[in-house]
Amino acid sequence: MSKRRGRQLLHRTAIAGAGLAGVLMFASMLLGAGNLTPLESLHALLGQGSEDHRFIVFELRWPRTILAILVGVALGAAGTIMQAATRNPLAEPGLLGVSAGASFAVVLAIYYGADTAGVHFGIAILGALVGCFLVLLTTQMRGAGNDPVRLVLAGAAFSSILMSITTLILLHDQRTADEIRFWVIGALGGRPVSNLQWAVPGLLAGLAMVGATVAALAAMSLGEKVAMGLGHKPVFTRILAMTGVAVLVGTATAAAGPIAFAGLIVPYFARRLVGPDVRRALPIAMLIGPCVLLLADILSRLAVRPYELPIGIVTACIGAPVLIAVVRSHRLPRL
Amino acid sequence: MPVSLKSAAAQRGRRALLAFLPALAFLASGLLAAPAQAQQKTLETAFGPVTVKAQPERIITLDEGALDTVLAMGLQPVGSVAARGGKDLPGYLQAHAKNVPIVGVTREPSLEAIFSQRPDLILASPGLEKRVYDILSKMAPTIVPTTPTTAPWQERNALYVAALGKEEEMASRIAQVQARIASLRERIEPGQSFSVVRWMPQGPMAMSSKMITGQILSALGMQGTAIADELGERPHSDILSLENLGSVDADWMFLATLNEQGDATLAAAREQPAFNRLDAVRNNRAVTVDGQIWSSSTGVLAAERIIDDIERFLLNP
Repeated sequence: MSKRRGRQLLHRTAIAGAGLAGVLMFASMLLGAGNLTPLESLHALLGQGSEDHRFIVFELRWPRTILAILVGVALGAAGTIMQAATRNPLAEPGLLGVSAGASFAVVLAIYYGADTAGVHFGIAILGALVGCFLVLLTTQMRGAGNDPVRLVLAGAAFSSILMSITTLILLHDQRTADEIRFWVIGALGGRPVSNLQWAVPGLLAGLAMVGATVAALAAMSLGEKVAMGLGHKPVFTRILAMTGVAVLVGTATAAAGPIAFAGLIVPYFARRLVGPDVRRALPIAMLIGPCVLLLADILSRLAVRPYELPIGIVTACIGAPVLIAVVRSHRLPRL
Repeated sequence: MPVSLKSAAAQRGRRALLAFLPALAFLASGLLAAPAQAQQKTLETAFGPVTVKAQPERIITLDEGALDTVLAMGLQPVGSVAARGGKDLPGYLQAHAKNVPIVGVTREPSLEAIFSQRPDLILASPGLEKRVYDILSKMAPTIVPTTPTTAPWQERNALYVAALGKEEEMASRIAQVQARIASLRERIEPGQSFSVVRWMPQGPMAMSSKMITGQILSALGMQGTAIADELGERPHSDILSLENLGSVDADWMFLATLNEQGDATLAAAREQPAFNRLDAVRNNRAVTVDGQIWSSSTGVLAAERIIDDIERFLLNP
C-alpha cells in the first residue's frame, strides 16, 4: 500500500467510523429498557415531553453513553497496543488476565473495606499493572511468547486463579458479595456519575503513554534490530506501552468493570480496515472501540426488557466468535 | 445378613424382606409399645411415606423454615445449615438457638457432620436432591415437603410441624399471629401500596408478592406493585433497569439487604439519582429491613419479626 493511498484509506475509514459512532451515540440516547418509545425519547432529547422522560434520557442514558465512549476508546487503544507490543493478534486485556487482575484488585480492596471511587481507580490500575507485568514475563517464556495460542492459555490459567480466589472471598464474606458481583461482570448502567471525573484523566494519561510508543512499536514490527538501528529502545518501549495499557485497562475496569473481548474485537476490525500498521490501526481502533461498546450497550438494554443484561455478556457473545475466527484463520497474522 | 451375596435372587429376596419390614415393624410396635407411649406416625413426603417416631429428640434442620419451626416450638436442633450466603444461623434465629452446630450450607449439607450427630429426624428443604436424600434417609427419617415456596406461610412448614408432633402448639401460635395481623390492619391507613425490593449495586430486584412478606402485607390490606404481583412463583425479578425504577415505587418501599448493613445499602441507593426521584424516597418511606427475614425466610418466628417491623414503620411514619 502506497503511503498516499494508505493515508486516503485512513481518512475515509476515520470519517466513516466517526459517523458510525455519532449514529450509535444518538441511538444510545433514544433506545433503552425504559417504558418510553424512541419518539418520546427524541422529544425528551429536544427538551420536551414529561419530566420523567427527560430524566431517563439526560440522567440515565447520557452518562452511560459517555462512559461507553470513554471505555471504548480505552479498551480499543489498549487492545491494539497490547497486540503490537506482544506481537500477538490474540493479546487482549480480558483474555490475558489484565482485566482480571484489575477487577481482582478492586475486589480485594472492597473486601478490606475500601469504598471511595478514587481508591478503586488507583487499585484497579495497580492490579492491571501486575497483570501486564505477568503477561510480559509470559512472553519471555520459551515457546509461549511466539505462540499466540499458548499466550492465551497462560492468560486463561492466570484468570482462573484470580477467579477462584475471588470465589473464595465470596464464600468467606458474603457481605461484600453483592458489590463484588458488580465488579466481576462489566456493566455501564448504574455506575456513579463521579466515575466519569476519574475516568477522563486516567484515559488521557494512558493514551499519552501509549501514543508515545507508537512510532517505536511500528518500527519494532519490522524486527527489533531494525528498530534499534532507527534509534528506538525495544525494552523501554515495551515497558512503557504495557504500563500505558495497564493505565487504560485499570481505568476502564474501575469505571465499568471488566468487559471481555472488547480489546480483541476492536483491533481485529481496525486491522481488517486499515492494515496491520499500528500507526494507522490505533486511531481507527479508538473510533471503533466506542462503536462496539455503544452497540453492545444498546443490545444489553434491549435484549431482556424491562431488565438489562450486563454489557460484558453481550461483548462476550460478539467476541467469542471473533476469537474462534482469528484462531481458525489459516495463518495467524504475525505482528 | 449375607450382604456380600450379589446374585439377582438374593437381591430380590432382600427387596421382598425390605418391603415386608414396615409391616413387621408395625406388628412389633403394636405388640411391644407401652400403652403410654404415643404411636409412631407416617407422613406423606416428596419421596413417599416416611415413618417418624412420636417425639424426635435429635433433629437436624436443613431448611431455614424448618429451623424457624423447630425453634418456635421450643426445641433445639442438634445441627442446622448456615443461613443462605452466610456461615452462621440466620441472625434473627440466633437468639433462640443455643449453640446449634452448623452442618454445612443449604446447597451442600455436610453428610459426615450430620451423621456424627446421630439424628433421629432430618427436616430438609423441598428442593432436596434424590442423590442426597438417598444417603440422608439411611441416617434418619428425612422429611422433604412438597409445598412450594409461595404456599401460604402458615402452611409452608406444616409437614415439619407434623413430624415434630406439635400441630396444636403451632396452630395456636399461628392464631396469635393472625390476631396481631387483624388488629394491625385496623390501625393502619387503608389502601396503601407496598413494594419489597432487594437493592443490588446495579439496581433493584422486585420480590414476588407471593413470598411471606408480600402475603403478610397483603393480609394487612396493602397492595403490591404490578411487577411484584406478576412474578408469581418466581421469588424475585432480575435486576431492573434503572430506567424502570418507577415500577417498584409504592407508598411504602422496604429495602431488603442480605446483611445488616442497611444504612450502607441505603447510602449506595441514594447515589442513584433515579432512586431519589421515587415517591417512597421523597416521602421518607423507603426503609431498610433485614433481608434474611424479609426476602428469604418463612416461618412463624419470621412472621412475628416481619409484623414487628411493619408496626414499627407504619405506625410511626
